Amino acid sequence: MGDSIRVAIAEDSAILRDGLVQLLADRGFEITDAVSEAEGLRASIERDRPDVAVIDIRMPPSFTDEGLRAAIELRRRYPALGILLFSQYIETRYAAELLADDAAGIGYLLKDRVADVSDFCEALVRVASGGTALDPEVVTQLLGASKRLGSLSALSTRERQVLSLMAEGRSNAAIATTLVISEGAVEKHVANIFAKLDLPVSQSDHRRVLAVLRFLGS
Amino acid sequence: MMKADVDESERPVELRLGSKGTVIVLSEARLNQVRRVADTIWRAPFTRRTWAEFIWFVLSGLLAALGMAFVALSMLAGIALLVTFVGVIIIAAGVRGAGGFGAFHRGLARNFLGEQIEEPGAFAPRPGLFGWLHSALRDRAGWRAMAYSVLKLPVVLFGVWFAFSVWVDAFFCLAYPIWGAGAQRPPEFGVARNLFQPGYLSVGTSGFFHATAVFLTGVILLFVAPWTMRAVVYVDRRLMRVLLAPDAMTARVRSLEHARAQTVDESAATLRRIERDLHDGTQAQLVALAMRLGQAKEKLAAGDDVDLEQVRRLVDDAHRGAKEAIVELRDLARGIHPPVLDTGLEGALSTLAARSTLPTVCTVALDERPTPAIETIAYFCVAELLANVAQHAEASRSSISCTQHGRWLRVVVRDDGHGGAKLSTVGSSSSGLRGLTDRVEAVDGHLEITSPPGGPTVVTVDLPLHA
Repeated sequence: MGDSIRVAIAEDSAILRDGLVQLLADRGFEITDAVSEAEGLRASIERDRPDVAVIDIRMPPSFTDEGLRAAIELRRRYPALGILLFSQYIETRYAAELLADDAAGIGYLLKDRVADVSDFCEALVRVASGGTALDPEVVTQLLGASKRLGSLSALSTRERQVLSLMAEGRSNAAIATTLVISEGAVEKHVANIFAKLDLPVSQSDHRRVLAVLRFLGS
Repeated sequence: MMKADVDESERPVELRLGSKGTVIVLSEARLNQVRRVADTIWRAPFTRRTWAEFIWFVLSGLLAALGMAFVALSMLAGIALLVTFVGVIIIAAGVRGAGGFGAFHRGLARNFLGEQIEEPGAFAPRPGLFGWLHSALRDRAGWRAMAYSVLKLPVVLFGVWFAFSVWVDAFFCLAYPIWGAGAQRPPEFGVARNLFQPGYLSVGTSGFFHATAVFLTGVILLFVAPWTMRAVVYVDRRLMRVLLAPDAMTARVRSLEHARAQTVDESAATLRRIERDLHDGTQAQLVALAMRLGQAKEKLAAGDDVDLEQVRRLVDDAHRGAKEAIVELRDLARGIHPPVLDTGLEGALSTLAARSTLPTVCTVALDERPTPAIETIAYFCVAELLANVAQHAEASRSSISCTQHGRWLRVVVRDDGHGGAKLSTVGSSSSGLRGLTDRVEAVDGHLEITSPPGGPTVVTVDLPLHA
């Protein structure tokens, strides 16, 4: 699945780090390095230039948001690098900071998501190829915190489901599979959502995500 | 007239007084004492202290007059208007103002009397007008400063009569021969006038002898004045120490506030530590466990060519991880509240003794059960102290004793190690014993370490039975 995708891992818990390495290697990803703190990650990325980095937000020395700060810095220096932030908790503030400029090649997932191995690997592949992967929890928080509740209430229940999945960064095909409807139906819902929210229609998945996130954040 | 040999201090000294040659024999030490007293009296009118006290009396007297007027006005106006809301505001403002006068007095006393009076805590009103009123009306320091302003008035009045007048009279008497001859005769007022009824040392009302007599009276008054003033200022000092410094209850509140702040900080730190342990330990274990099981599940779902060997390995890992998570969780829970404590201190302490690496004797004799909070503190003290003994003392045995003394619980941990333990150096972590002391003091308990070099080390912890 992860054929020839090169991954760097920064995670301070040894047991999780080893588990991730083993899981991803098993799935055919190439692990360039697995480190336990942000400083090592910078050096490792400079050296190996992986396609994507899986970064724990809370790492030594201060155990607050080292991972996030490293991610923002790496993002500036290597625009092509995909970044999947990996955290025990979801903080909307972190998501907002990370998605400030662009949602391309960005992921933010709860650590729990590794339990669904395929979904997790899929998200990693998506981020590595410039897509977006936001945790459903992040999307729920963004929806809850959005000041545009008025426009959102115009959406039907199904349309809201589609909007959430879109915000997570999923393609029409993936949305169709998740909701067990046809891709055509998804396209129709998407068109309705964009019309109701008065958003510019866009073909590319990640532009679409960005439009939705901008809408929710504004 | 005096013959004194300073070098031989015990030799009696002869004093010949007057033409008849009256001889007084004094020991050298006594003579020195007499000299010192004479010296003090002789110099008193010219010392800095005397004049500082005089200036203090004048300045603080004026201030007190203002303060009294302020207090009287604000209280009268406040009480008169009490039926309206304005009265309450005026009284509150009066209390605050009195506090201000108090602060002024403290400053003056510091500068002129060298009297260091502790500041009561800064006035920290609650937000809003009502909050401010509430805080101002309950401001103990303000009310006490008001009491000082009121009580200061009689002190000032007495001082004017008893001390200030002596200075003034001394001044007039000394100046009398120069410019006052024929004028109204001093002393003009005050204690001196009452004691030295018109005649002073001379009976006449004019002439050279009269002028000289008045001048001599002035000299005497000059040497008396510093002492009457000192007496008045002494009363004032006592009054300030009692009313302008924080009172016992305020001091108690402060120490309790300090203890509470420490307790709050400590519990926040404890929660953070527990969160960290859960986050880095158990939660990571469980995520890894879910990850392994997820992998195994997907492999099993792959259909016919299941790599059973790989799946078995994954399940093995997951199984081991689950067991480790259980152990971690149990240790963590025990660190928060040891379940053995539920059965009482006796069982808990003997469990600690049994778990200790050294042979440890444990005796517990309690008539009643302390409150759970006290039991917990006692337990963690003993746990920490035993850990210290094992780590630092190089002891061969230790003992725990836990006894009841009236309303107090006394826990003693003793070891036969090399001693030399100090509050700052002992502790499995740098803050080990320090943290224990804070915890003990937070409930008004006391922790004492006796650890001479060479040992033995005895740590005594006294805790109230019911916190």
